[in-house]
Amino acid sequence: MKTYLLPKLLLIAVCIGLMGCVNVSPWERGNLAKPSMEIDPNPLQSEFQSHNYSSREAAPSHKSSSGGGGCGCY
Amino acid sequence: MQQHTHKAPLQLVNKDCSQTIPVKSKNVLHALTSAALVLPGLLIPSPAQTAPGDRINFQYGRYEEGARNLYGVPSKYNPISADVLHGSGIFSLTDRTKFSFGYTQDTWSGATPITTTPLATDGGNRPLTLNQVVVGASPLINSNVLLDRNLDPIGRDPLTKQSTGIVDPRSVHVMSSASPETRRQASFGLSHEWNEAAIHVSGGFSREKDYKSSFGNIGGRLDFNQKLTAVKFNGGYTSSDIGAILDHDSLPYITKTAYQDQIIRKGGAAGSDVLQGNRHDWVANLGVTQILSKNSLLDTSIGYTHSNGFMENPYKAMSVIFIDPGDFNNQQTGFINGQVRALIEQRPDIRNQVALNTKYIHHISPFNAALHLGYRLSIDDWGVNTHTFDASWVQPLGNNWTLTPRIRYYSQDTANFYSDYLFSRQAFSKPLVDAQGRQVFIDRNNPNVQYFSSDGFSFFDQNGNLVDDTIAQAARPQFVTYDAGLLPKNFSSDHRLAGFGALSGGFTLTKRLWKGVDLETGFEYYTRASSMQIGSGGSSFADFDYYVANAAIKLDMERIDTLGSPLALPHDKSHASKHAFHKTPPAGIMFGHMLDNKGDFMVGYRFMLNKTNGQMQQGTHAVIDQTIIDQGCSDTIPCRFTPTHMNMHMHMIDIMYAPTKWLNVMLMPTFMDMNMNLRNLFKLDGTVPATPPGSHSHSGIGGHETGAIGDTYLSALVKLFQIPGHRAHINIGFSAPTGRVDIEQRRAHRIDPGLIHFGMQLGSGTWDFMPSLTYTGEKKRLSWGAQIGGTKRMEEKNKSGYRLGDLFQASAWGGIDLAPWLTASARGIYTWQGAIQRDFDAPSSRIGPMDFPQNYGGQFWDIGFGLNATIPRGRFAGNRFGFEWIQPVSNDFNGFQLDRKGSLAATWSYQF
Repeated sequence: MKTYLLPKLLLIAVCIGLMGCVNVSPWERGNLAKPSMEIDPNPLQSEFQSHNYSSREAAPSHKSSSGGGGCGCY
Repeated sequence: MQQHTHKAPLQLVNKDCSQTIPVKSKNVLHALTSAALVLPGLLIPSPAQTAPGDRINFQYGRYEEGARNLYGVPSKYNPISADVLHGSGIFSLTDRTKFSFGYTQDTWSGATPITTTPLATDGGNRPLTLNQVVVGASPLINSNVLLDRNLDPIGRDPLTKQSTGIVDPRSVHVMSSASPETRRQASFGLSHEWNEAAIHVSGGFSREKDYKSSFGNIGGRLDFNQKLTAVKFNGGYTSSDIGAILDHDSLPYITKTAYQDQIIRKGGAAGSDVLQGNRHDWVANLGVTQILSKNSLLDTSIGYTHSNGFMENPYKAMSVIFIDPGDFNNQQTGFINGQVRALIEQRPDIRNQVALNTKYIHHISPFNAALHLGYRLSIDDWGVNTHTFDASWVQPLGNNWTLTPRIRYYSQDTANFYSDYLFSRQAFSKPLVDAQGRQVFIDRNNPNVQYFSSDGFSFFDQNGNLVDDTIAQAARPQFVTYDAGLLPKNFSSDHRLAGFGALSGGFTLTKRLWKGVDLETGFEYYTRASSMQIGSGGSSFADFDYYVANAAIKLDMERIDTLGSPLALPHDKSHASKHAFHKTPPAGIMFGHMLDNKGDFMVGYRFMLNKTNGQMQQGTHAVIDQTIIDQGCSDTIPCRFTPTHMNMHMHMIDIMYAPTKWLNVMLMPTFMDMNMNLRNLFKLDGTVPATPPGSHSHSGIGGHETGAIGDTYLSALVKLFQIPGHRAHINIGFSAPTGRVDIEQRRAHRIDPGLIHFGMQLGSGTWDFMPSLTYTGEKKRLSWGAQIGGTKRMEEKNKSGYRLGDLFQASAWGGIDLAPWLTASARGIYTWQGAIQRDFDAPSSRIGPMDFPQNYGGQFWDIGFGLNATIPRGRFAGNRFGFEWIQPVSNDFNGFQLDRKGSLAATWSYQF
């Protein structure tokens, strides 16, 4: 796994580096401002889904940033 | 949604949002835009888009799992289901500072795997037969299994438990069931936004009977590169205390040696063993959001989670097959007997996880849609590496509909300490032998005294003296249990730590109604299969599926004031000024006020708490236990238990609309949850009544909980008259039986207790007619009113065979304005309710007064003290709040009931 991780990280770093070059003027951002382009367009849904996933899967909680507890002991 | 207020970069608007400035040239526009960048209001959104406007959300969801594979043995337990209620809101305190809150409550119940064993044991899911037909299975976690010399299990028929004589390598979950349990979580947050940065802090807690967590979080965002790039960061900490109430049914059968010093006794002899532990989780995330082009952006982050402490699931046990080395080493033995014992699982005390998230979002202009593609990789030091791929397509459909189909694939590796079950080449327990090879005995009456014997006939004491026969008769063999050092340090058979893959798909559908009201519904189907794991694929015994469905109403408070709602007043944001606010009745009055104008719309939330505890009452007086034992239940069954407390919480959403000036229609979904506990009744001589054979017992400190959707009210309110200072209306209401009336308790003490007490069921189970007549008056600072109403059950019985009593209530109140926005009220209330008619037509627990229909209803006189507030101006103008405490004054109970201690009603409403 570790052998694959490093190239992935590098690839992402390169992508981010390239992005610095783009220039999208403020008046060209109409599409980006649409509700459908939000990073999380349906937060109520994703909160609900991720609670189910985290009680059924062993990956780190998808919403780890929002905290929250609960055993999910079932 | 909120983007129209914060993120409208295409059109430049003047300050009161009423007029579009014509764009004459690119340069002018550029100059204006540059100027706008330094103005408050953030005309250009951060690429991270994290500033929603003022809003309130209500959501209800249901999770339901499919049955597990028990290889033909019918489970009599329902699969796991959960009912989830969520409410949240965001309010602006200033232009740049926002307060947020969230509340989530989930109640779950159903069958859950307690351990995994070979299918070939003589226990496991032991079939229960009735008239030679298998009707279900009960969990038997301690059992025996026959093994060949390669330690492969020799199969048994899952139903008859007869040996098949051939190797059967299959594993099976042993299913146990749980009574309903409720978790509540509350969180609060504060955020502040600068032009190119933001910071937020939040915290909260989660409470359930056996698991309490508190959490805090701090994070922020920095925009740069002309808001093409945003960097996000946050850190959080969660502290959890576990107090697992070890099940009084499985307790004797689960081996918990490893946790002996973490287990304490609570509640005395009739109490429970509680396994205590705590755990700490630290989280840190760092992310970048980058605009790639005018149609695409990329969001990436890396997160690190460190956890330590008690990370076990205290209700999961590992099956260990103990093999006597004597049998195993004896080459003459064809088959070896394995003794299956369940040990509470043992996970490592430390876990480190790293997760890498990437999301790419692209606007598909021909369809005006957005494609979201996500990938997530996580690795951890338990060996659970995971991959998640997901894709969704957000498609606006016109007419304010948006449909978002979504698909997700997940795969995880097996934790390095996971196995279905373990083998240990030692006896689970064997007679203790001393250094000289003599068997050790202990004195039955004094466990500190040891005797030694080489032949089983002559016994020697610790000093080597022969003891006489009378003393030797008290000797019994001393046993030693297995050597834990020969077992792995960590082990778990929790299928969530096994390797598997999961595929799920679903959709979200949203519809914008008018005036900032959105409806949202979501559905997802999820299927887990070991064969779908990337790279390998184990046995399929733990495969299952579930579906979730949910519905939400979202209120966008900002949109109401600023966007083109026909009622919005662009030059006067004082929302209150467009409604002539007449006084509202006290909070405990339902269906007590009407909207004034055609087209008005109101959404509200109503919370009611009802407390009973203290002494048991008969009629108007308290009674002693002996009277309850003799008279509280039935002639043939004496009462053995009585409630110590019962609390009911009711959450209601009020949705009210005025199609005409004289008619309002109203819809009120409700969500109920209740908890109660019982105690033994004691006879005058201090003993407890005898237990009839086969009847339900109750012990432990846990109590009972239920919670889910209650009944739904539908109403039409018709105005009778309205003259200055006086108004009257009738309410023609119905209650639809959406609350369950067939909730069962879990199996305990090898008995199925059947349906839970009447008062713990969540609805009436019948269609009910609920008429009422309300009059209100007001003059200057004074207000007054009266209401009579009732509930008439319109069916003979519900699906469980009984019918709640009818109800009549009359109340009158007076109020005085303490301030123009604040009214205090006092109210007198008379209530009559009939006893329950008929009885459960299925088995119920029948152990105490709460299980018998005659012990419900009565006549009650109460007094209510209330406060109503209407926020007159400013940011929160138009919000109304009401509180009322209802204090019992005099009670005349039917039969035997717990004393009433009062009710609280709290309401919030907002009229559009």
